Amino acid sequence: MSTSAPRPQATEPPELRVQEVTVRFAGLTALDDVSFTVSPGSVHALIGPNGAGKSTCFNVLSGLCRPASGTVRLGDAELTRLAPHRIAALGVARTFQNIVTTEGTVADNLMLGRHVHSRAGFAASALRLPRAVREQREHLAKAREIAELTGLERHFDTPVALLSYGDRKRVEFARALCLEPSVLLLDEPVAGMNAAERARTAETVRDVRAELGLSVVLVEHDMGLVMRLADEVTVLDFGRRIAHGTPDEVRGDPEVLRAYLGTETPQEDVA
Amino acid sequence: MSEPTARTRALHWGRRVLPLLLLCVLPFYLDAFWLRIGLFSLAAAIGAVGLGLLTGTAGQLSLGHAFFLAVGAYGYVWLAGEPGPGLPPVLALVLAVLLAGAAGGLFSPVAGRVRGIYLGVATLALVFLGHHVLLTADSVTGGFNGRSVPPLPGFTDSDPQLVLLGVPFGAAERLWYLGLALFALTWFTACGLLRGRPGRALTALRDSETAASVMGVHVARYRSTAFVVSSMYAGLAGVLLALAFRRVVPDYFALALSVDYLAMIVIGGLGSVAGATAGAVFVTALPLLMTRYADQLPLVAAPGAADGVVGPTEAARYLYGAAIVLVLLYTPDGLRGLTRRLRTRRRLERPPATATSSREPTPAVRPKEHTP
Amino acid sequence: MTGLLDNLLSGLALGSVYALVALGFVVIFKASGVLNFAHGSLLLLGGYLIAVLHDDLGFAGALALAVVVTAAVAGALDRFLLQRGEPDPHAAHVQTIVTIGLDIVLVTDLSRRIGGDLLSLGDPWGDSVHDLGPVTVADSRLAAIVVSAVVIGAVFALFRYTAWGLSLRAAAEDLEAASLMGVRLVRVRTLAWCLAGALAALAAVFLVAFPAPGLERTTGQIALKAFPAAILGGMTSPGGALAGSVLIGLTEAFVVGYQTELHVLGEGFGDVAPYAVMVLVLLVRPTGLFGARGAARV
Repeated sequence: MSTSAPRPQATEPPELRVQEVTVRFAGLTALDDVSFTVSPGSVHALIGPNGAGKSTCFNVLSGLCRPASGTVRLGDAELTRLAPHRIAALGVARTFQNIVTTEGTVADNLMLGRHVHSRAGFAASALRLPRAVREQREHLAKAREIAELTGLERHFDTPVALLSYGDRKRVEFARALCLEPSVLLLDEPVAGMNAAERARTAETVRDVRAELGLSVVLVEHDMGLVMRLADEVTVLDFGRRIAHGTPDEVRGDPEVLRAYLGTETPQEDVA
Repeated sequence: MSEPTARTRALHWGRRVLPLLLLCVLPFYLDAFWLRIGLFSLAAAIGAVGLGLLTGTAGQLSLGHAFFLAVGAYGYVWLAGEPGPGLPPVLALVLAVLLAGAAGGLFSPVAGRVRGIYLGVATLALVFLGHHVLLTADSVTGGFNGRSVPPLPGFTDSDPQLVLLGVPFGAAERLWYLGLALFALTWFTACGLLRGRPGRALTALRDSETAASVMGVHVARYRSTAFVVSSMYAGLAGVLLALAFRRVVPDYFALALSVDYLAMIVIGGLGSVAGATAGAVFVTALPLLMTRYADQLPLVAAPGAADGVVGPTEAARYLYGAAIVLVLLYTPDGLRGLTRRLRTRRRLERPPATATSSREPTPAVRPKEHTP
Repeated sequence: MTGLLDNLLSGLALGSVYALVALGFVVIFKASGVLNFAHGSLLLLGGYLIAVLHDDLGFAGALALAVVVTAAVAGALDRFLLQRGEPDPHAAHVQTIVTIGLDIVLVTDLSRRIGGDLLSLGDPWGDSVHDLGPVTVADSRLAAIVVSAVVIGAVFALFRYTAWGLSLRAAAEDLEAASLMGVRLVRVRTLAWCLAGALAALAAVFLVAFPAPGLERTTGQIALKAFPAAILGGMTSPGGALAGSVLIGLTEAFVVGYQTELHVLGEGFGDVAPYAVMVLVLLVRPTGLFGARGAARV
């Protein structure tokens, strides 16, 4: 993994504050009065058994799902009523549980991540105005930089469909980074990966956090990874927050043990 | 997307300039029949590129392309003609294209919100309503019998006389160059769009609206802009077709025409300019060639023969209907996909290939991802 | 007053015929997620078969045979061309365009056979009429309403009370889950296509019966007017398709009936009025009147 990409230390990201968010689907309460705060530059893990509401929570944060009540704030901006593309422009990027890449090469995908930072519209691109061409070149350089940061430089011009599962997950991760987000939402970034790939992804997350100074919200079933990476952990069960604290505090929490052992065993031993 | 070296750049330009040169010298060797086929193919290709952008790249099924072709054709006829403001033909051409774009824009409240198959049927309405307007708004459209097309000076007649290298330049030759120029413009702009920021946003929209929106793509705006741009290409194709036909009639712009364009992009392979062009040539040239060579083809009767036998038009329609079915069932990404897959295979044979999983063919029409 | 009743009745008759076609669209869409653009050609096939067979078999025999053959052709198209390999919910878009290709081939062949002729189906109603109180109604229209009502009732009973109906609804909800639960999707789908084909052949009879002049090569295009009906209903709801069909039928009948008053809209607006209504409805409700909100995301 190359860490040579020279970047100025980003300014401190704003605080992400989730307050009393409730989401209902057809009578079913998916999130019930959930609150947590992601402090600037930290890794905040969101864990819980399947169906606990973690992905719904991500959908609220990225604007795909509108809560019945409660607010989400990023610094001074209120995200709750904004459309997804506006939230993205404010610096919230995410990955998906199931890989969602688009057709084309890794470069094409990463360039999609540069969408909010570029301006060329239909007319400028169609006529290939000098500024559109220049812009494209600049952002391509940026995308290449991020590909290096995430270990994808060898695959930069490879069609995504030709990549391995782990590499495609990495493409999604890199694409989110291309947004230069202040908050990065990672939905099960290592699911389906082997041990080596997991370790590599964990390292990448740690590196980009340190280097780019962004906050990370992490949904993950791999408890070992969560415990190693997270500064803070929020535990959800049936849409409610049942515990909150540092990894060590959460690890010993009787509520958490009950939620997990009562329904299913986490992939790796909590202890 | 690697930085081009001098050699690859030369190759790159060579690949573009050579075919263009070839197309430029054709009038010196071909007679009017072939030039007409070529002209119709060029016009169809312009329209097909537009539909490819909308349906292939942005994933919005449209059966309304005939309507926008009609807006372009009739727009030009009315703007340049009498009755009508009688504008200079070149200005009328530009305005007709903008008019088609505006018509696409008017449809954007529907295009921005209605999705998938619903959009396909909604666009069907455009064709039927448009056809009705063409028939009934006599004062503008000339009704059932249509209108004759005002000439574009210098291109649709043989005046001033011009003889180059012993070849007289009549209307067919001149229109060919006009078509070629407009097609080159289409190719240039469409490739710019597809390889630039809008193209990536539209591709993302097609592959997953959800992913596109969280990457910052304004979904409704891009969906409707795709419609506007596609309509402008259709409008341009409409003007060129009107000039080639010299008369516009409502019945030409019926549902079958929309289906023809859909067939072109499906047969050629969705989402690429070259594919749309290849499909356009195939669908346009096939019936014309079959009519010309009907007497030499087995199982095909001469045109105008009695009911019930297979005439050249029918034979062409059988073939291209079957082509749609076979292409979609057997090579889901069309002619383009076929060549691309061959190229990929060649690349995979070279050792540094990084592929770890086999290449899945990209289906011609990409399904939407389910919302996570 | 008589004018009103007249229009109402012809609207209902039209609507009930559209309902037969629209129901076919919905059944196919529910089972396979495909919008069947070849439906018009199936209808034309059914009509053509009746037209050429009724001299030898009599109307009833020709109708029965046409229904069976059209159903078989529809089922075969689905089974052998569309459904190749595992049932795949994502292939629906591709298959929709395949049906356009099929339609081109079928329509080309049938129009070649029909040529410029007007074919009679030899139906028993002919041009006879009945006086119903103040209005005079063509028998064919009454027959259309009665037969459609009976057939549609039977189809709804199929949905509700048979194992196939249950499977169909399960498949429409969630293809994957349905196959895990042991629903034999291939067969459910093929049967759905057969049913739709049969309905199309039946609809052909009433579409070309008096006062229409007879079967011509463009008859299949009339089936396209059932598109707006099905879309208005939301594509996934048989009840919605029924309501949409009646709405479309009435709209058309009234626009035609009051043509002189609606002169501004131009002559022949009745033919395109269904599409105008559909666009207006889609503007307000992008997935139709009764459509599930997620239904458009196939």
